[in-house]
Amino acid sequence: MIDDRWSRESDVTDALRAHYAAPTDERYWDALEARILAHVARGGNEGWWSALAEMARPALAAAAILVLVAGAAVVHTHQLDARNAYASVISAAVPPSVESAARVSSTPDGDATVNYILSH
Amino acid sequence: MLAPVDGDGAATERAIVVAAQRGSDEAFGALVRIHQRRAYSVVRAIVLSHEDAEDAVQEGFLHAHRALDRFRPDQPFGAWLYRIMANAALDLVRRRKVRDADELPENVALPFRDPAESGELRERLQQALTHLTDRQRAVIVLHDVEGFTHGEIGRTLGIPEGTARSDLHHARATLRRLLQNIRSNS
Repeated sequence: MIDDRWSRESDVTDALRAHYAAPTDERYWDALEARILAHVARGGNEGWWSALAEMARPALAAAAILVLVAGAAVVHTHQLDARNAYASVISAAVPPSVESAARVSSTPDGDATVNYILSH
Repeated sequence: MLAPVDGDGAATERAIVVAAQRGSDEAFGALVRIHQRRAYSVVRAIVLSHEDAEDAVQEGFLHAHRALDRFRPDQPFGAWLYRIMANAALDLVRRRKVRDADELPENVALPFRDPAESGELRERLQQALTHLTDRQRAVIVLHDVEGFTHGEIGRTLGIPEGTARSDLHHARATLRRLLQNIRSNS
């Protein structure tokens, strides 16, 4: 059986109008206006995204502190390494490579001097 | 149909908009007072419940407040605002879908329905409306209930006018078919 109530387009429209009828009580609109303005004043509701944003702020601050501490540690380590390397260079009287090079290069000169004295 | 103000009212509204853009809370409150009913109607056409419509209207006005400095006062404020409202409502519908998956609202509160309408018919209409796409539902309600033209619907929902016409045709046909079928099966 076909329902005659829905056989004409206007019946569907009438049913839709009844279904979507807006509130007519003025107090309702006054209350909604107050809710809207309060919502705008506080910048949105307290949904999960707001809570997440609030959680994100301290997390970001902590992350920034960690980055700063890590950066300071890297700089400090780098300075320490440089200081140790400098100290090791200073404390060594003659570098072994320079000493052996001097010895090798002085030997022919010494021989030449002895030969010169012996020949005269 | 879109703008609740005409002629001199439009000039007055423009002055209110400019004051609101300069940071007057009182002026923004006046804009809310002028447009909240129409804004409610726009979002109610898109969401499935009265409560969701209230949430969407609040979010829509919040977005409008944040974007107010980007609005050009020589444009119709209503059209700009209702586009924001429609987007807020569509966002809400998307969020609800993600949260509720395919669960249909069984106890949607409709405290402002026509008392003469029987519960049975209301329930069937509500069920039939869930078979429309979000856009089809919005188009048929904006056109048949709120009296928007096809062009106004297109601007509000961000679709071509021809698409609004097509959606309206399909929405009407679907509702007629579903309501008849439901009745004939009972």
